[in-house]
Amino acid sequence: MQKGLRMSPKLASPDGTSVNISRRGVIAGAAAASAAVALPVAWADSASAGTPYLPPVRSYTQTPVPAAAIRQMANRFAYGYTPALGEEMTTAGGPRAWFDRQLRPDEISDTATGAFASWYPTIGRTAPEHFSIAEMRNGYGYEVWTNHGRWSMMRRMYSQRQLLEVMTEFWCNHLHVYGGADLTWLWREGYDALIRKHALGRFDEMLQDATVHESMLVYLDADLSRVVRRVTQSGSTVVTEKINENLGRELLELHTVGRAAGYTETEVRDSAYILTGWTIDRFNTWRLSYVPDSHYTGAVKVLGFTAANSSRDGRAVLVDYLQYLAHHPATAQRIARKLAVRFVSDTPSDDLVNHLADVFRDSGTDIKATLTALIEHPEFNAAGGKKVRTPTEDVAATFRVLGARMSKPNSNGDAANSIFYQCKSVGQVPFGWERPDGFPDNGQAWSSAARLMGSYRVHNSTAGHWYPSTGITYRSHASWLPQPQLRFDLFVDHLCRTLHGRRATRLVLGAACLVIEATPGDMITQDHRVIKYRLPRLIGLLLDTQQHMTK
Amino acid sequence: MTTNDCSCTDYADSRRSFLRNALAVTGGAVATVAFGETFRQTAYGATDGNVLVVLSLRGGADGLSIVVPHGDPDYYPARPRIAVPKASLLVRDDLFGLHPGLKPLEAMWTANKMTAIHATGLPQPNRSHFSAVEEIEDADLGSAVRTGWINRLIGLDADKGPLEAVTVGSGLLPTSMYGPEPTLATDRTENIQLFGAQDDAAQVQRRKALTQLWEDAEGPLGLGARSSLATTATLGPALAQRYVPANGATYPDSDLGLALKDTARLVKARVGVEVVTLDYGSWDMHSGLGTLDSTGPGSMQGMVSNMGQALAAFFTDLGVVGDRVTLVTLTEFGRRVQENGATGLDHGWGNATLLMGSGVKGGRYYGRWPGLGGANVDVDVAVTTDYRSILSEILASRFGTSSSAVFPNFQPQALGIMA
Repeated sequence: MQKGLRMSPKLASPDGTSVNISRRGVIAGAAAASAAVALPVAWADSASAGTPYLPPVRSYTQTPVPAAAIRQMANRFAYGYTPALGEEMTTAGGPRAWFDRQLRPDEISDTATGAFASWYPTIGRTAPEHFSIAEMRNGYGYEVWTNHGRWSMMRRMYSQRQLLEVMTEFWCNHLHVYGGADLTWLWREGYDALIRKHALGRFDEMLQDATVHESMLVYLDADLSRVVRRVTQSGSTVVTEKINENLGRELLELHTVGRAAGYTETEVRDSAYILTGWTIDRFNTWRLSYVPDSHYTGAVKVLGFTAANSSRDGRAVLVDYLQYLAHHPATAQRIARKLAVRFVSDTPSDDLVNHLADVFRDSGTDIKATLTALIEHPEFNAAGGKKVRTPTEDVAATFRVLGARMSKPNSNGDAANSIFYQCKSVGQVPFGWERPDGFPDNGQAWSSAARLMGSYRVHNSTAGHWYPSTGITYRSHASWLPQPQLRFDLFVDHLCRTLHGRRATRLVLGAACLVIEATPGDMITQDHRVIKYRLPRLIGLLLDTQQHMTK
Repeated sequence: MTTNDCSCTDYADSRRSFLRNALAVTGGAVATVAFGETFRQTAYGATDGNVLVVLSLRGGADGLSIVVPHGDPDYYPARPRIAVPKASLLVRDDLFGLHPGLKPLEAMWTANKMTAIHATGLPQPNRSHFSAVEEIEDADLGSAVRTGWINRLIGLDADKGPLEAVTVGSGLLPTSMYGPEPTLATDRTENIQLFGAQDDAAQVQRRKALTQLWEDAEGPLGLGARSSLATTATLGPALAQRYVPANGATYPDSDLGLALKDTARLVKARVGVEVVTLDYGSWDMHSGLGTLDSTGPGSMQGMVSNMGQALAAFFTDLGVVGDRVTLVTLTEFGRRVQENGATGLDHGWGNATLLMGSGVKGGRYYGRWPGLGGANVDVDVAVTTDYRSILSEILASRFGTSSSAVFPNFQPQALGIMA
């Protein structure tokens, strides 16, 4: 575990970052029994006293509702359903065909997204370049981190390679490096590129590269962990251990087998020994190199892995060790469960997890094969709506479904920059988790009242075009009305089909009536107050629903 | 927290089923407040009752740097570069002295309102951050039912008041708060509102609409949404006014300072705060722990100084209200006796606990000192006082709570730290 922004006061964030976790309990079925009561005739009488207003819904069939499998694919392997993505899947031949195509991201044109890199001046600089700027500029490390977060959010929202973005986020969170950790930001972009390169490849190759990447080594202190050899006057060599166990431990506990595998403290020590040798020329060239004299030699044993480890060049031992860990059954179980929890539900069946673990191992840790097995499992399509969107997924989905387009930012308030502050306001800054275990991924974690209030703020400020208000083009309010005049209940159904990919429910229609004091039979035109003044409240509320906040 | 660990999924399941069965239980609400790196949770109880503040030093703080065993012959040899010099220590006795960064608290110590207990912690070593935190905060070791000790504490309360929790922005709910009692989170009090309405009339309608949407919603989002509705209704107006600390208290401009200032405000607002937990850290100083000359915000010197200033401001601000408030520090584990190759400290075991405020028999050090035992690299400080004994004594003294209800299957040892 790593302290944030320690040792370099220059890098301290002006406002700090916090992350919202509330692993509060699910009160399942708490109040499900209170449906079906007599319908009040008007909104004015209801909801304050606990009687829901449930007017009958009408269907606006001109706006299609996507097949459940399309919605599921769009919400799990892209950053949220939009009517355009639904059409894209249909054109591709259905969600499965779309998914297969997404497995080959190189074949998908994505030029618009490529341009995002030029929007942020810190992108593309080398570690020495970063450092020389940081020496002269307070807060530069924070700038690098925020820009990287912004760039990531832009890609998540607008890339055509949605699956690649989703999997890059997943693996970045699994092999997590805290974005604000001291010095790791110097190589952050390269670390991201490494994860991205392997995100749809093989886990064993990703683990090999990530473990010895500068960002990871520095984050978990491994480049400082070494032995020192000194030759005495009599010619004998004295070895002093300067071992730091941080990466050796987390490699086992978090990145691969997990504590359930039952390794001992001695084996944690051996894990740290194996990692010695990789060194960064800190505060000088910043170059990574292997220094054999810093490598601990002597027999090592971790679980079923043993090595004589007699050579001062321990790189081959490390490669073998990482290979052993990547292919360990306990690793397969953990990765399988993590994928199932991420893409299916918070409580995946053992059957699904075991199946994915088998495919993962049998395929030699092939990620494409494992994901394909996941979407082919019946549990995948049966799990629609069962996941709580994380706060940043909610932010991304909000901009996507509102059809907002961002332009190159010129100031902090411009949308492509303020996106970072919006993420912060909902309690989940990209890569902003201090500890090496990565953001939690379950509904309990992301359901605190604070998250709800933060998400309401984002939904309503974007629905109203109030924040961000610059560097962004929103759909006009008028454009949401699909024909010159329309009953309010049909209009709400159209909005639900567009925003949620689902028909309106009586509960939602009733709440929509309440929030803007309309009745289902009101005839809505461009001059009606619903379009002219109250649309932000209406669309904001439709985003404040379970339909939008779950996936 | 290894939420994706196989073991944790079992735990989530067992907890969920536990909660289903525990629905009949309601009690004081719990709020979570987060200020950047500092997180705070608040449990609401009786309006003028005693208050316990639990300051969690996240990441495993090094007790040997905070309560320094200068009289142990192995201390200075084990830490050639990072030991705290004897001459700099505060309130020294033959064995111990406090880190000079705690200078602002010296007056509390000499007024016998503050103490330190050494060689405290979990009964068995656990060097994993994630599971050690869960063990400390669940504090019912070995039990399959996962509720935190604070949740159990407030569950004992006869006061079954409505949800009255402060919640803004973000907050980390520690294991100590897990359980059937509702919980909330916030980072800035001014954010306690249902954003999205432009005037009072619209606000009324928006509340009705959100109430309808979420009133019967299943799952964690429903609970969070209902908590946000309750919080904004009951606490929002009270917190809308500007807060000025009393008695000339000056909080440091840090996350901890802000969080403690807001805690003082809540205690003084008499909304029924009973337990507040704050997370302050990270203290996970594997490298570059620093010396007294290292004043960076993440160094030991920077962290301890910030803590000393913030705690002193907190008790100054509370004034007479402080007669209701007791504060204790916890951390998941101590660190190794000997410094590592990176002038840092790897994960260890035993630690030191700071205790201050109302009811504390302070002005001296407590705990049986086990000695540092030879100072080779793998030596930990052995634990001679289970941290649950400390909490048991505080709870008995301040809340009249029996230890067994909060720490089942545990026999506390009498320490005599509380009046």
